[in-house]
Amino acid sequence: MSRIAIIGGGPAGYVAAITAARQGREVTLIERKALGGTCLNEGCMPTKSLLESADLLDKVRRAGRLGIRLPSGQAEIDWNGAQEYKSGIIKQLVQGIGYLMKKNKIKVVSGTASFETAHRLLVEQGGKSSSLEADRFIIAAGSEPVPLPFAPFDGEWVIHSGQAMSLPSVPASLLIVGGGVIGCEFASIYSRLGTKVTIVEMADQLLPGEDPDIAAVLHEELERAGARIYTSTALKQLDPAARKARFENREGSHELTADYALVSIGRKPRTEGLGLERIGIEFSRQGIHVNEHMQTNVPHIYACGDIIGGIQLAHVAFHEGTVAALHACGQEAAVKYRAVPRCIYTSPEIAGVGMTEKQARQAYGDIRIGEFPFAANGKALILGEPAGKVKVLVEPRYHEIVGLSIVGPRATELIGQGTIMLHAEMTADLMEHLISAHPTLSEAVHEALLGAIGHAVHA
Amino acid sequence: MAVEMVMPKLGMAMKEGMVSNWRKEAGDPVSKGEIVADINSEKIEMEIEAPADGIILEIVVPAGQGVPPGTVICRIGSPDEQVIGAAAAAPEAKAHIAEAAVAAVAEPAPSPSPALRKKGESKISPVARKMAEAAGIDIESIAGTGPQGRITKEDVERAIAKLSAAPSPAVESGPVTPPAAGGEQVEQTPVTGIRKVIATRMLDSMRSSAQLTLTLKADVTGLVALQKPVSETAQKQYDVKLTITDFIARAVVLSLMQHRQMNSAYIDERIHTFGYVHLGMAVALDNGLVVPVIRHAEKLSLLELARGLKSLAQRARSGQLGSEEMQGSTFTVTNLGAYGIEHFTPILNPPEAGILGVGAVQDTPVFIGEEVQRRSLLPLSLTFDHRVLDGAPAAGFLRTVKQLLEDPYRLLL
Repeated sequence: MSRIAIIGGGPAGYVAAITAARQGREVTLIERKALGGTCLNEGCMPTKSLLESADLLDKVRRAGRLGIRLPSGQAEIDWNGAQEYKSGIIKQLVQGIGYLMKKNKIKVVSGTASFETAHRLLVEQGGKSSSLEADRFIIAAGSEPVPLPFAPFDGEWVIHSGQAMSLPSVPASLLIVGGGVIGCEFASIYSRLGTKVTIVEMADQLLPGEDPDIAAVLHEELERAGARIYTSTALKQLDPAARKARFENREGSHELTADYALVSIGRKPRTEGLGLERIGIEFSRQGIHVNEHMQTNVPHIYACGDIIGGIQLAHVAFHEGTVAALHACGQEAAVKYRAVPRCIYTSPEIAGVGMTEKQARQAYGDIRIGEFPFAANGKALILGEPAGKVKVLVEPRYHEIVGLSIVGPRATELIGQGTIMLHAEMTADLMEHLISAHPTLSEAVHEALLGAIGHAVHA
Repeated sequence: MAVEMVMPKLGMAMKEGMVSNWRKEAGDPVSKGEIVADINSEKIEMEIEAPADGIILEIVVPAGQGVPPGTVICRIGSPDEQVIGAAAAAPEAKAHIAEAAVAAVAEPAPSPSPALRKKGESKISPVARKMAEAAGIDIESIAGTGPQGRITKEDVERAIAKLSAAPSPAVESGPVTPPAAGGEQVEQTPVTGIRKVIATRMLDSMRSSAQLTLTLKADVTGLVALQKPVSETAQKQYDVKLTITDFIARAVVLSLMQHRQMNSAYIDERIHTFGYVHLGMAVALDNGLVVPVIRHAEKLSLLELARGLKSLAQRARSGQLGSEEMQGSTFTVTNLGAYGIEHFTPILNPPEAGILGVGAVQDTPVFIGEEVQRRSLLPLSLTFDHRVLDGAPAAGFLRTVKQLLEDPYRLLL
């Protein structure tokens, strides 16, 4: 029976561990902090917990419109309570993974691992070190926030996403450098908790990469919640002593003071300290190089998850971890990135799968686009969330559905329908006589599809 | 929940596998790890084990029928379990077997269709179906690579590409009629199992690569003289006999490390060049041919290589090789010297870019300067894929093999 050692207990690593264990391998997983990695401990899960708190507060404040009177007047955030709720969820999930490790007889070692030779790892923990030999290795060491070259993270004022979710209190003001997914999610949390949020983004729109019409809806809603947004704007200086930032755009130079400066300009693969150079594993700033089986140039060593760059999402890491483990166990397996959903937990939510409009036009030329606004969907009106729309992209020749973008209520759940359509390679005509339940938000997806083939009913 | 057992995929190039023998019948209890069936595929006979305890609920693919890897071949579950989803398929499958049986009686040369698929049964994605229809491709002719053999968009794209690449057969050749009424003098053998795999692979090799063969002779007089005493010592000290073949294998490995291009494979329009040598050694069996593989041969000394080769060949002859031991080779050596063959044209073992054919040593008069001497010459035939490398580098590789064999002390180091 061959032995497999896995570096990193995040989404890529723990899924790889379980997959390999179920193939009957002897698996050791090395984790330097907590099982679950960035996703569970300082990424997806904790931010979603805080967003839920912010969202509920927002709903309660708007409850009057639905005929609900609150006895004590104004609802307010109990920040400690929100933090405790968040910590409780994380604790439960981390324990859940611990249980899965035990159930699958996976040995979990805590410590920092580096390659001594191509078949031996050095594991260091609290000054003590041990070595570990295995036949196959899977590197899933993840990624970390990229600092600004002129303003490193100090944890006091210049903070990264991991620190932004555990601030001692709700700040009065917050500068967010970078209007990508992470920046926008934090803007959605804090702007609704009463923080004066300012976003500075270099590109000409929020969420660069998503279609401009989709990002525009979020832009408007964030501004409605009180955020200031500067796009096409370059940050020039961060002065931690004065808590002051200076940035420039076409209109000139601006200065701003804020309680914190959250730098969310991307994440980089955590390739340092693994001893990759020592054993000749090829990597670049974008991450470790792998083939479609997740094999590095050293065939018995695999890498997956954020450390290989590409799409840095937990569910992509699950997929890559599974493929890496199966291939390491001698099975034929290769990654497929065709139908990967992208979810952004802002208010309103944004989600997409497949191509964006720009990509589809490049690939197919004259595509068919079907759109349906939530303002024309009864359920969205009842929820009081009519902002946003569904957009579906259909290629002209076979009418294959090649992309779906949603901005609006429950977008991250609704996108599942699009993921299925793309995964199964469905064509739009098949959906013509689909029966969508009424009244639901899902009807908007169906209507957008009908729109793409020219048969929308309610638009 | 019933557990599905599928036809395993045993190698990159495997297209079809067959259950040669069911050791269990529907209704039989099995325990995890127990042998359920013998699988015949990819030059391999192998046994497959039950993945879980239970009883055989249903045998989906009868013995003798070739199916693509990933196809469900049987279901295992608890006795009271219904076969969900399979309930409808099962009687059909049985009906199909019955049909085949009837056909077998009527026709002396039964050739059950390669897959269970009947018209309209192919799993195919909606867009793939439209694309195939638009391109006029018969869906049944497309191999599906999606879940459970589902035909995907990519599969159809590949089929279309193949169609446009292949010259359209202007004149369909008529059905081949066997030479006039042979009667009982003609014996017909259905091509199945290992024979079919070899047939498919060899034809595929000839069709899909640009192969040609270079030949030369190496003067192995010194090697022959060296081999005997070295082998005797090795036998005494390490209990391993060293044959000329072992020396040749070592020379090939060393040459491959010098000429990396020769150690390549052509896969999906990409040339994969390997930094290690997994050496395949063709071994003839009674009913066919297998190619066991020595992994990381570049890390082995002559002695270790010899030991590995002996053990693999022995286990190959007794049919004990695991599937892992027969895949992943980066270069193959085949030896017909025992039959007195000199030069020949070996066929590439796809996707590899090279195969070296070894002939029989002959003693020949050779001019050494102005003098005629009795020398032992070894004919070598190198087939290579001209898509991967050109004549000069291939010749360079072959020359290095020759030089090493002519200076055999270097093989001992």
